[in-house]
Amino acid sequence: MSADDSFTNKEWQVIGRAIARLRASVMAVVFAMLGGGVLFLATAVLVVNATEGMPVGPTLSLLNNYFPGYSVTWPGAFIGLVYGAIVGGAAGYLLSYVYNLVVETRHPHMKKG
Amino acid sequence: MIVGGGPAGLTAAWDLARAGVAPIVLEKDSYVGGISRTVQYKGYRFDIGGHRFFTKVDQVNDWWMDVLKDEFLLRPRLSRIFYNDVFFDYPLKPVSALRSLGIIEAGLVGMSYLKAQLFPHPEEANLEQWVSNRFGYRLYSIFFKTYTEKVWGMKCTEIGADWAAQRIKNLDLKAAVKSMFISNRGSKKQQITTLIEQFHYPKFGPGQMWEKVRDLLGESGHPVQMGHDAQVIHMDGRRVVAVTAVDRDGNRVRHEGEHFISTMPIRELIQAMDPPPPPEVLAAANSLRYRDFLTVGLVVNKDKLFPDNWIYIHSDKVKVGRIQNFGNWSPFMIPEEGRSCIGLEYFVQEGDELWSAKDEDLIELGKKETDTLGLINAADVVDGVVIRQPKAYPVYDGVYKDSLATLKEYLQSVGNLHCVGRNGLHRYNNQDHSMLTAMYAAENILGKAKHDVWEVNLEEEYHEEKATDAKGATGERLVPQRVTLSPVQVLEDAFAKYDPVALGAAMAVVFGLGLFLATAILVVKGGPHMGTHLSLLNNYIPGYSVTWPGAFVGLILGAVGGFLNGWTMAVAINAVVTIHLSRLLKRLDNPAPYETMDLEV
Ligand SMILES: Cc1cc2nc3c(=O)[nH]c(=O)nc-3n(C[C@H](O)[C@H](O)[C@H](O)COP(=O)(O)OP(=O)(O)OC[C@H]3O[C@@H](n4cnc5c(N)ncnc54)[C@H](O)[C@@H]3O)c2cc1C
Repeated sequence: MSADDSFTNKEWQVIGRAIARLRASVMAVVFAMLGGGVLFLATAVLVVNATEGMPVGPTLSLLNNYFPGYSVTWPGAFIGLVYGAIVGGAAGYLLSYVYNLVVETRHPHMKKG
Repeated sequence: MIVGGGPAGLTAAWDLARAGVAPIVLEKDSYVGGISRTVQYKGYRFDIGGHRFFTKVDQVNDWWMDVLKDEFLLRPRLSRIFYNDVFFDYPLKPVSALRSLGIIEAGLVGMSYLKAQLFPHPEEANLEQWVSNRFGYRLYSIFFKTYTEKVWGMKCTEIGADWAAQRIKNLDLKAAVKSMFISNRGSKKQQITTLIEQFHYPKFGPGQMWEKVRDLLGESGHPVQMGHDAQVIHMDGRRVVAVTAVDRDGNRVRHEGEHFISTMPIRELIQAMDPPPPPEVLAAANSLRYRDFLTVGLVVNKDKLFPDNWIYIHSDKVKVGRIQNFGNWSPFMIPEEGRSCIGLEYFVQEGDELWSAKDEDLIELGKKETDTLGLINAADVVDGVVIRQPKAYPVYDGVYKDSLATLKEYLQSVGNLHCVGRNGLHRYNNQDHSMLTAMYAAENILGKAKHDVWEVNLEEEYHEEKATDAKGATGERLVPQRVTLSPVQVLEDAFAKYDPVALGAAMAVVFGLGLFLATAILVVKGGPHMGTHLSLLNNYIPGYSVTWPGAFVGLILGAVGGFLNGWTMAVAINAVVTIHLSRLLKRLDNPAPYETMDLEV
């Protein structure tokens, strides 16, 4: 089998020129998992490694400026999981939404999907 | 010679007989009318799906009126959708639909519509994506999903978006709402819509039309040969010379003729040819597919069950797809007062579980399902009958077009063979177009014209669709195609490049906006040590601080940084994909030894 048997040159050109789209729902879920997961882990590591008498995660706990109720504690880790997921999901969705919008404006001739 | 005593075969026969030609009609069954027959059971009459006589072809309309004259009734049409124990007008009327849904569900429908408008599914490859992008997922799941899946036996995610686009052409909710306020009475559209609100129907069902034509043929000396199954089509090169039919007693009768009109399914026609046609033609015929149909007729000891001619069942709790109330088609379908006869329609595949079930079991299923739906009390059902209709729908799948092109070329080269009708052309024709092809074939044989019957109903839009577009989609006339991805599409997906500018812009928005919001929140909150940590960012972003001007600096420089980041990422990914693609191309040009091995033994 050779390349010519299966696809014409034109078809290869089409393949070569195809522009990827981002699936907003998939990106939202991936970013949500990342956001939630990272914040949960970051909090959990600090809680586990806490030393008696020392403040636990003073810098990370500043995040409660943005996420009311968040703290570097076990309950806080779970609250952070939720917040991280929400913010991550929104960022992922926004990212792919803007990306697809720009692709569609720049390549109006290309079909969807 | 005419094979088939359905609408197409009988139309051709009657036109030829009236022109002085002696037609021989072979009909394998003991009744005429084919799919348009009316089945009689103890005096009760059941159609295969309820047949409206409805056409924009004057030639056909005149023909109908000429044959049945004042035996035609003009009937009002009422059809509704039954979903969650509630009826919805069909074709859909937005206000009544929303009223029937109830405030909460209507609100949810509205929200899901809004969501679809704001964040449509980026892809529109299948029916689900196409419809829910336009109407919202909730409305789609109520009015499209279940019924379409029942009719076609495929998931809506497997049905190509093209089908929806064709079927639901100009329908959008905005247009529907507008049409409620702006009257188009008197317009062509309105006239057609009126025709859809009422339709012609023979007193005793469509079968009456075809029984009448059978009798007319008999009286003129050309009786239809009932119970004659055409099994062999004798060929001599590119000519048909005779047809051998087997009658009910197993006798083989050979009929010679000058011209042959076939209304039998193309697949069977090709398979019956002796000697067989070229292998590619046989293969094309074998690839044609059909969808079958089964009606469970129930006699109910109660009249006035519901006012509809038919009801679409959108509940997924039951298998029945549509319910006909034949007394509302014509009161003459019922021999006794105080009773009803209804037809429960199941869309099936020949040989599947429902198709092969025992009649008694199917009748029990019908009773149970109508009871579950709350439409009929099972105790009121006094009798039942099962009617099976193989090959009710020719299927337009991913391969049918190519196969049909091969078949058409071959069949057209057989000079004295005329294929007409629905399955005879593998086209989704109603009676009118099935008949028109037969009329054209008769005219061709009589030397009056040179029609191309394959062109009938190809370009024309079925005006029922055109007219109802503004109100609702019927979802039942065209046949959907399975979504198939070509290898090019698959590779396009796999090797698609990221647009660096688009990824840059997207990252710019996320970074810029993120930094702006993070700063702004702290500024708004205020406090003595607010933002000491965040302001460390000015090590990387000159001029940045946790202040209002700083927030805007963050917005701009965050966006610039984001853009560069996204752009670089896209370029890097594209470089890797390109290297991978060119390696693959090289491998295809110089295949490794194992790839040339023939693994088929
Ligand atoms: C559910 C449903 C609803 C419909 N609703 C409507 C409607 O409302 N209005 C409308 O106008 N149309 C409607 N139609 C379409 C209509 O039924 C068809 O267009 C019409 O019956 C086609 O006529 P025909 O003669 O081409 O084929 P058929 O009706 O299929 O008739 C073919 C005949 O050929 C005979 N035959 C086949 N093979 C052989 C053989 N080898 N030897 C001898 N005889 C043979 C068969 O027994 C049959 O009698 C509907 C169809 C379906 C399935």
